[in-house]
Amino acid sequence: MADPNKVDPIHQFQISKIVSFGDGGFAFTNSALFMALAVGLIIAFLLLSTSRRGIVPNRVQLISEMLYEFVANMVRNSAGTAGMKFFPFVFSLFMFVLVANMFGMIPFFFTVTSHIIITFALALLVFAVVIIYGFWHNGPKFLKLFVPSGVPAYVLPIVVPIEVVSFLSRPISLSVRLFANILAGHITLKVFAGFIVTLGGLGFLGWLGALLPLAMTVAITALEFLVAALQAYVFAVLTSMYINDAIHPSH
Amino acid sequence: MTEPRDTGSDGDGSRVREQSKILKEKIARAQGRRTEAAGRPGQSAGSDNSGMNRGMRLGTEFIAAVLVGAVAGYLLDRWLNTSPWIMLVLLLVGFAAGVLNVTRAAAEMNRASPPPPGSDLGPGDDEEDQ
Repeated sequence: MADPNKVDPIHQFQISKIVSFGDGGFAFTNSALFMALAVGLIIAFLLLSTSRRGIVPNRVQLISEMLYEFVANMVRNSAGTAGMKFFPFVFSLFMFVLVANMFGMIPFFFTVTSHIIITFALALLVFAVVIIYGFWHNGPKFLKLFVPSGVPAYVLPIVVPIEVVSFLSRPISLSVRLFANILAGHITLKVFAGFIVTLGGLGFLGWLGALLPLAMTVAITALEFLVAALQAYVFAVLTSMYINDAIHPSH
Repeated sequence: MTEPRDTGSDGDGSRVREQSKILKEKIARAQGRRTEAAGRPGQSAGSDNSGMNRGMRLGTEFIAAVLVGAVAGYLLDRWLNTSPWIMLVLLLVGFAAGVLNVTRAAAEMNRASPPPPGSDLGPGDDEEDQ
């Protein structure tokens, strides 16, 4: 890291303390800073765009109305009208993941969602909501989620553990998918961009060859913007599908 | 208010009324679509259509179940001092759960994007091989 000429694609994920509070290791890090920035941007944008509401919306108001409609349709399609009471939850998750991913695409910005602890915490939050609401709304009937209907009793000892493990694997797959996509994309981007510098060190022919990774970097940047939006969408869709399980626990 | 004319306030009024009628129909249609969509949850979910994304989805669904099974078995073994038996059993259970996850996700994707009408899907399940 000390050598500026050495390409280090992992360096961008390093967490550094900005302000430390005491010796307990408790600190305000760059990760926390960008989380706060993301939340601040979302709140500021939504408040500003809806402050002068008009029946004929202006451009900014239209963007936030489209975001609302997009998430509301998604929740309605996967969890039904009963799922709309979880709309604020899904909308917050979607906006946070989307803005955090998009922040990551800006050079020198820290990508919050490239750390598995962040995505895993979000997934655990989703599962706490699903389990607590499932038991509160359905009572013990929520456990029917693990007993598929129409299965004879003598295979239940095999099926139930499989269903339980399948349920427990959901927060893992939900968090790993978001984290892996963002991490892999950012490393690929850095590695290809690093090729340009390395090849450039070889002289004129090197600069000619460096055109190839340059084109690749541009293409991957576009792809990464797509992935950033898509992963936020996937996270929100799966969240509303799991919420659907909490509302209607039978398969 | 007899005949709508080309000019004047009367013609404007009927045109406005006609437009508002069209708008009313549009609103009613949109509301009908919304209640129709709300009636059948879990139908059009997961209509993510990029191949890379589907691959990532299926891969993580499978790996996650195997990992959960193995880790749960390892922890139970450490707790009960039965190494390595529970881990072996739960690893297999996790494998089965992974396959279950993948089939569920794939069925969901198939529901989200049915084949176009008129495409040849081969003989159906109920047809006998001759």
